[in-house]
Amino acid sequence: MSNFMDQNFASDEEEDDFNPVNQDDSDAEEVDSKPAKRETSADAAPDAKYGRDAHEEEDTKDVEEDEENDEEEEDEEEDDEDDEDEVRNPRKKQKRVVNPFIEDEAGVDDEEDEGDDEEDELAEYGMETHPDDLDALPQGTETDDRRHRQLDRQREIDASMDAEKQAQMLKERYGRNRAAASDSLVIPKRLLLPSVEDPSIWGGRCKPGKEKEVVYSIQQRIEQRPANSRNPMRIISAFERGNIMQGWFYCEARRQADVIEGLDAINFYYPSQKLTLVPVKEMPDLLRVQKSEELLPGGWIRIKRGKYQGDLAQIEEVETNGLNVTVRLVPRLDYGMNDDALGAPADAKRKRGAASTVRPPQRLFSETEAKKKHAKYLSSTSGLGGKSWNYLNDNYVDGFLIKDMRVQHLSAKNVNPRLEEVTMFARGGEDGTANLDLASLAETLKNSTAEDSYQPGDPVEVYRGEQQGLIGRTVSTRGDIVSLQVTEGDLAGQTIDAPVRTLRKRFREGDHVKVIGGSRYQNELGMVVQVKDDTVTLLSDMSMQEITIFSKDLRLSAEMAADGQLGIYDVHDLVQLDAATVACVIKVDRESLRVIDQNGSIRNILPTQIANKIVPRRDAVATDRNGAEIRAADTVREVYGEQRSGVIRHIHRSFLFLHNKAQAENAGISVVRTTNVVTVSARGGRATGPDLTKMNPALAMQTPGGGGAAMPPPRRGRDQLIGKTVTIRKGRFKGLVGIVRDADDNSAQVELYTSNKPVHIPRELLTPKDPVSKQPLSMGRGRGGGMGARTPFGSGGPPRDSWSGGRTPMAGGDSSRTPAWGGANSSRTPAWGGGSGSRTPAWKNDGSRTSNPYADGSRTAYGGIGNRTPAWNSGSKTPYDSGSGFDAFASGSRTPAWGGAVPNTNTGNRTPAWGGLSNSRDQRDFDDAPTPGGGYSAPTPGAYEAPTPGAPTPGDWPDSAPTPGGAFSAPTPGAHAAYDAPTPAMGGSAATPGAYGGNDGGPRYDDSPSP
Amino acid sequence: MFFLKEETKVIAMHPSYFGPNMREYLIGRLNEEEEGRCTGDHFVICVMDMVDIGEGRVMPGIGQAEYTIRYRAIIWKPFRGETVDAIVTSVKPTGIFTLAGPLSVFIARKNIPSDIKWEPNTVPPQYTDHADQVIEKGTSLRLKILGVKPDVAAINAIGTIKEDYLGPL
Repeated sequence: MSNFMDQNFASDEEEDDFNPVNQDDSDAEEVDSKPAKRETSADAAPDAKYGRDAHEEEDTKDVEEDEENDEEEEDEEEDDEDDEDEVRNPRKKQKRVVNPFIEDEAGVDDEEDEGDDEEDELAEYGMETHPDDLDALPQGTETDDRRHRQLDRQREIDASMDAEKQAQMLKERYGRNRAAASDSLVIPKRLLLPSVEDPSIWGGRCKPGKEKEVVYSIQQRIEQRPANSRNPMRIISAFERGNIMQGWFYCEARRQADVIEGLDAINFYYPSQKLTLVPVKEMPDLLRVQKSEELLPGGWIRIKRGKYQGDLAQIEEVETNGLNVTVRLVPRLDYGMNDDALGAPADAKRKRGAASTVRPPQRLFSETEAKKKHAKYLSSTSGLGGKSWNYLNDNYVDGFLIKDMRVQHLSAKNVNPRLEEVTMFARGGEDGTANLDLASLAETLKNSTAEDSYQPGDPVEVYRGEQQGLIGRTVSTRGDIVSLQVTEGDLAGQTIDAPVRTLRKRFREGDHVKVIGGSRYQNELGMVVQVKDDTVTLLSDMSMQEITIFSKDLRLSAEMAADGQLGIYDVHDLVQLDAATVACVIKVDRESLRVIDQNGSIRNILPTQIANKIVPRRDAVATDRNGAEIRAADTVREVYGEQRSGVIRHIHRSFLFLHNKAQAENAGISVVRTTNVVTVSARGGRATGPDLTKMNPALAMQTPGGGGAAMPPPRRGRDQLIGKTVTIRKGRFKGLVGIVRDADDNSAQVELYTSNKPVHIPRELLTPKDPVSKQPLSMGRGRGGGMGARTPFGSGGPPRDSWSGGRTPMAGGDSSRTPAWGGANSSRTPAWGGGSGSRTPAWKNDGSRTSNPYADGSRTAYGGIGNRTPAWNSGSKTPYDSGSGFDAFASGSRTPAWGGAVPNTNTGNRTPAWGGLSNSRDQRDFDDAPTPGGGYSAPTPGAYEAPTPGAPTPGDWPDSAPTPGGAFSAPTPGAHAAYDAPTPAMGGSAATPGAYGGNDGGPRYDDSPSP
Repeated sequence: MFFLKEETKVIAMHPSYFGPNMREYLIGRLNEEEEGRCTGDHFVICVMDMVDIGEGRVMPGIGQAEYTIRYRAIIWKPFRGETVDAIVTSVKPTGIFTLAGPLSVFIARKNIPSDIKWEPNTVPPQYTDHADQVIEKGTSLRLKILGVKPDVAAINAIGTIKEDYLGPL
C-alpha cells in the first residue's frame, strides 16, 4: 500500500515539472532510494508495468524527457540520473524564478519520479530480457484495463484517506520549512529564545493610546516597500503591548538606523525621544502573554460594575469572540415599587440614579410582582423550556436574569463564591443542593485558594502535577508555595515544595475537624464520615447533621467540647430575651443566634436582642411531677406528650431545658415543664463517692447542729441517769439508795447500796441525789447532769440553781429562770443577784488565781455542753437550744457565772478574756476558745460529771468561799477521771483544789491549766 | 482493645475511717471510683488487684490520710478501625445511635449501606432493606469504629456498617 501511495505522487500530472528539481537531491539519496525501488519492482510485475504505462501516458508534455528515457532505457541507472541532472539543471533554475512553490514540491517528488523512472526501466528491462514472462501472463494482459482500475482504486483510497492524515502527509512532503517544523518538536523552548545573533528590538515612544495605529502604519509601510523592492523596509516586525506599556511600541530590526529610517514620518511617533534598545534578556518578557482568565460556561464570576456590582453570576455562554459573555444573575428588582407616582422609569438616567441609591435585595424574578405596577413593561416570551419573561428589556428565565455582558465588566479572579450565594442559584431546581454543580464550584474555588488556608501540620495530598499522589504534612507556606514533608511512600521524610493549587487537604474518616473556610458552617466542629476527592462529609458535633464541604475549608481540630461561640454567647447558654422570656441558644451563626425559648418556639435573633446571659445557678432546684427534687444535670423524662428525655441543662421557673444528645434538631435541646417530667436518674452521689456524713456516726450526729436544725437531734446520747446515785421514792424499795446502772425510757436498773442487787424501778420513782451530800438533784428526765455541768463553772452554786431551773423540770417551775434563758443578762441578774452577793466574796478571795483554772475548766466544760446541746434539747430546754445553738446556750450559761465573777474579781489576767465573754458574749471568742480544747463530744461527759459533785455547792456558796472550793474541787477530778477526754482539760480544774488548798500560788495555776 | 494496665490512684481518707477496716474501705472506695470510669482515653472495666497500697500519709491541716494505691485494671480503649458489637439505642433520620459497652457510637447515614433505608413509618422507626436486615432500637449490630473523639470524661465515636460482614447480627 505504501508503495502505491508513493507511486501515486509519482504519477501525478506534474511529474514532469518535478524532474528538474532533481538537482536538490544528492547522489546519496538516490543510492538510498534504489534498493527500495528495486524491491518494489521485484515485488510486483504489474506495478512495474503500471509504472511504465503511467509514465508513458503522462509523458506527453515533455518530449525531451521522453526521448531521454527512451535513449537511456538500457543504460545504467546512475548514468541516467546523472544525465538527467545535467540536462535538467538549467530548466530548473528557470522554473524556480517563475514559481517557487512548485520547485519545492518537485524537490520532494523528484525521488518518486526517479523511482518511476527506475521502475519503468526495470520493467522494460525485465520485459525485454524475459519475454517469456509475458507469455506467462494471462492472455490479453496488455489490453487489460486492470491498471486503470488499479489507478482508480488508488485514487479512491486517497480520497477516503483520513483528511488529517492526508494533510499531515502533505505537510511532510510539501511543508515549506520542513527543517524548522521538525526541529520545533525536538528543540526545547529555551533554545528558541533570542540571542545576540538575532535582530534587536527597539522601543519607541508614541502618543499614548495610538500604539496600535503606529504599528498599523509600520505594517502598511512594510507592505508598500517589500524586501525585494528598491527601497525595502528594514524593520522586520513591530508590535505594542497595549495598556501595559502605554505610549510605547517596539520594532524588530537589525540596526537602529533601519528603525529610524523605517519610522520616518509615521503618525503619532515621537522621533524626538530616543529609541531604547531592549536587552536580549528582556525580549521574551515583551512578548509574554498574560493568560486571561478562562471563562467557561457554568463557571462563577463577579460583576464589576452596575447595579449588580459585586454580585455572583454564573456564566451561561461565552461568545466565540471571547468578548461577550451571557451570564445568569439573581436579579435585583424593585418592580417599580420605589418609583415616584409619576412613573419614573420614563427617565432612564434618573432611574439609574435611583437604583444606585436603593439597591433592591437579590430575589428571583416574580412575574406577579412585576405585573402589579409594571405590567406594561412585561412581556412573556416563549422559552425553550421553562418560563421566560421580558421585563424592562431584560430576559428572565426561571426567575434568573439572563444578561449579555462584556468581559471587561466581569471579574473571574478571586470570585470565592460563598455557599449561600451559590445556593441561590440552585434554588431554581426542585432539589436544592443536588442541583449544585460542585465540580465547577470547586474549580472556581481552586483558583482562589488562599494560601493561608494551609497551616503547618495540615495533612495534604498532591493531586496533580509531577508529584501527584504524594502525601505529607505541610511544614511551611510562602506565598503560594507550600513545603511539605512527605510522610508516605518512597520519599518519606523528604521535604518538597509544591504549589498550592496542586494540593488538597487530606482527611480520613473519623478525623475530628473544624470548618475554617468562609462557608456558613464556619467554626463548626465535626467528625469526617466520608471523603470523596475534594469534598468531605462531616457530621457536626453540635447538630448531628451531615455537612458536605470542601476539604480546603477544613482543618484538623484538637478542640473538644462544644463549638460555636458568638461573642459571649455559646451554644446551650441560657439567655434572657425580655422580662418574660428566656431562651436557650441552640445554634451560633456568624452573626446571629438561633434560640429556643421557654415556650419551645425557635427563632433567630441578633446578639443585640439579648438582654443578658443568665448565669446558671448551681443550686437551682425544682420538683418534678412526683414532687421529687430535680436539679441541673439530672436526667428526666417527659410523662405525657413526646416522652422526651434528657439531661437538665437549665432550670428556669417551671421550665426545664433538656439536652438529649440523640436528638438532632435544636442541638438536642427541648423545653418541658417541671410538672410534666419524672426523674429518671438524679445526678446522685456516685461521682462524688461515699457520703461521709452518713457513714460516720460521729459526724452523722453532729450534722444537725450545723445544718440549720432541720432534724430533731437524737433523743439522747447516754442516759444521764446512768451512774447516778438515786433514792427510790416509792414502792418496795422506797427510801433505798442505789446507783443507776442502766436506764431506758421508762425504767432504770438500780444497784442498791444495800443489797448489791440490780432492781428495775420505773424511772419516775427515782430521785437523783448527790452521792456525797445526799441532796436531791434536780434533773429533767434524769438529766441532772446538765445542772451538774454548770456547777463546775459555776464554781458557784448559785448559777447552778438558775441553770438547773432552765434545764430541768424543776427549774421550769422557777419563774426566774425563764427570763434568764431568754438570753438577757438582766433577766438573769436577779438570780445572780441572789447568788452573787454571797458568792462575791468567795470569788474575791480567790482572786485572780481561781480564774485561770476556771477559765480552762469552764471552757472545756462549755465546749462539752455545747456539743451536748442535743442532749439538752430533749429536755425542757430544747427550744432555747434550737433557737440559738449551743453557743447561745453556752454563753447564757457562762455569762452569769462569769458575769458574777467579773465585776467582783475585776482582776488578773482572766478579766479581759472573760470580760469579753461576760459582757458581749462574743460567740466567736467563745467558740474559738473551746474548739482547740478538743473534740466537742469528748468532754461532755466530763462536764456532766462535774456538776454532780458541785451540786451541793450552792448551799455552800452563800456561806463561805472555801466550802465550794472543797466541795467543788474534790469531786471534780474524780468525776473527770471517771469519764474521759475532758479529763485532761479538766485536769486544770482538778488542780484547782490543790490551789485552793494552797491558798495561793497563782502563778502555778496559771501555768498548769494553760497547757 | 482490652489492656491490662497498671495505674495509680491517690485516695484521701477521712480520719473517721482510720481503724481495722481501713484496707477494705480503701478497696471498696477504689472499686467504686475506678470501675466504669472513662478517662476520655479509655474505659476502666474492672480493677483486678492491688499491687501496692502505700502507707498513708496524714495531710497537714485537714487530718485526712492520703493513700497512693497502685493497682491493675482491665481497660478498654477503642481504636479507629476496631470492629465491635453494639446495641442500637435509637434510630434517627440522621443515623443510628448505638452503645458498644460503655462507648456510644454513632453511625451516620452515609455510613449505612445504601440499600438499608430509613423507614420512619414503622413502629418503632427503623432502618431496613425490606428483607432480612432490620435495624431498630435494641438490635445488635456489628460495626467498625471510624473515629474516636475523646472528651473530658467521655468518648464519642462514629462507626460504619457499610462494609462486608458488618450490620445487624
